[in-house]
Amino acid sequence: MAKRTRRVGYGLPVVLAIGVHILALLLTLLRLPESEPTPSSSSVVQATLISDVTATDQAQYAEEARARAAQRQAEEEAQQQAQQAAEQQAQEQARQQAAEQQAEEEAARQAAAEQAEAEAQRREQAAQQAAAERAEAERRQQAAEAERQAEIKRQQAEEAKRQAEAEKKRQEEEAEKQRQAEAEKKRQEEEAEKQRQAEAEKKRQQEEAEKRRQAEAEKKRQQEAAEAAAKAAAQEALNDSIANEQERIANAQQSDQASNNFINLVKRAVEDQWHLPASADNGLVAQVRVRLGPSGELLAASLTRSSGNPSFDRSAIQAVEAAAPFRELQQLDAGLQRRFRDFNLRFTPGDIQ
Amino acid sequence: MNDSMSIPHLIMNASLVVQLVMLLLLAASIASWVVIFQRSFALARAKKAQKAFDERFWSGIDLNELYQDVPEGYEAEGAEHVFRAGFREFNRLVPKTRSSEAVLDGVQRSQRVALSREEDRLNSHLTLLATVASASPYIGLFGTVWGIMGSFQSLSMAQQATLSTVAPWIAEALVATAMGLFAAIPAVIFYNRLSSIASRLLGEYEDFAEEFHSILHRNLQGRGGNQAA
Repeated sequence: MAKRTRRVGYGLPVVLAIGVHILALLLTLLRLPESEPTPSSSSVVQATLISDVTATDQAQYAEEARARAAQRQAEEEAQQQAQQAAEQQAQEQARQQAAEQQAEEEAARQAAAEQAEAEAQRREQAAQQAAAERAEAERRQQAAEAERQAEIKRQQAEEAKRQAEAEKKRQEEEAEKQRQAEAEKKRQEEEAEKQRQAEAEKKRQQEEAEKRRQAEAEKKRQQEAAEAAAKAAAQEALNDSIANEQERIANAQQSDQASNNFINLVKRAVEDQWHLPASADNGLVAQVRVRLGPSGELLAASLTRSSGNPSFDRSAIQAVEAAAPFRELQQLDAGLQRRFRDFNLRFTPGDIQ
Repeated sequence: MNDSMSIPHLIMNASLVVQLVMLLLLAASIASWVVIFQRSFALARAKKAQKAFDERFWSGIDLNELYQDVPEGYEAEGAEHVFRAGFREFNRLVPKTRSSEAVLDGVQRSQRVALSREEDRLNSHLTLLATVASASPYIGLFGTVWGIMGSFQSLSMAQQATLSTVAPWIAEALVATAMGLFAAIPAVIFYNRLSSIASRLLGEYEDFAEEFHSILHRNLQGRGGNQAA
């Protein structure tokens, strides 16, 4: 009856025991990677720039990491916009300058012509009146034009306008003085000249009409061009100012965020590599000046403020050297890059001892 | 981080002594588990056999029949072994002596021998469990102490003593203690459980021996030729 169960063998127990151990090993393997959270980095290194001090908070890490891609796009767009705006501004300025130059040149030319005419009038009284009248008409047109231009320019750019206005006023005053003098002379000479005038008048009138027509056409052309330029310039100026404003705001935010971002990256990299010497107190502060190459490689790390503890100072410099290169520098704007090529890191041991 | 601190990685990177300690502990753990399973099965079977024999013995069967109804080469276990040893001695002694005292003494002696054999069988290998349970924490502790000694020796050579330079050493040293505890805890639990089962079984055997002895005694007292009740 009990023959079958002489002894309990060891085969099955061995198999079961090994099975238990393999199971335990698998459990440790499976559970360990999940249950081990990455330790949060405690902020031990305080980084401050030489040029600007940025406020850093821990919460920004994740946020920035998320927004970084979007930021980069925005940066590119802003750059493009800025370039376009700059080009437009440059074009506009060039156009304004050209218009001003034209106006000035014209004014100078006309003034010269007036002077020459006045002299000619003095010399040749018969020809004087015609020239005077022509000059008057031109002067009037010119003044009106100058005034219009001056007004437009006042709206556009105050400084340029002020200069242009001043110049134009000066010119106008001169022209007026000349005009008055000429008018007086004319009045004195008029009576004597009437007879001669009558004869020459018809020819002169014809000539004048032709000249006026030409002058008017030219005037219109200039006016139109000036008006168009002025309108375009005004609009552009408005757009520019808006765009500039937006750009400035965007740039400020971007640079703030980007600088925070980069600073945080540098801080964390340095923190990771920083091994505190055993002799370090809590109160020690060392400041290390870090100079980076354009691609983020470390050019020099020098101690700008010693903590008084040589091993602590050495550990700080070694941490920077170990953490370099900071390749993230390449992702920054050119302007920011220049700023971050040279910055200070302040090392203060926290409660880690 | 995760990768370098995983337990297999730590074991692989441990120093030789710590690795040997770990190997020893692993062997002890496996051995203790083998014993745990083997004893569990054996004791469960013994319990079952004891119950079956109990029922059979008290079912009013003739003792001679019970004694002879056994296949060839069969070695009885437990209470049956006690019964058979006692009954064999009884059968041998009754024709030779008239003294019931001498017969009962002989029966008792042979039963005592059988009981001690049974006790030996029940408790066999349980000492291994006890050894593992008590020794493996110390072995693991030795591995840990050795590993931490190594870590401090390496620390004295390092320029900067930070937690990150000491941590891997201590972690891999502590694995040894963990393994010691891993081997010891089941060994302790199952040693207690299995030895209590064994002692209860042994108690039952002893009870049976006493009862059987009293039956034989009753038979001898009122005997007039008929020996078996």
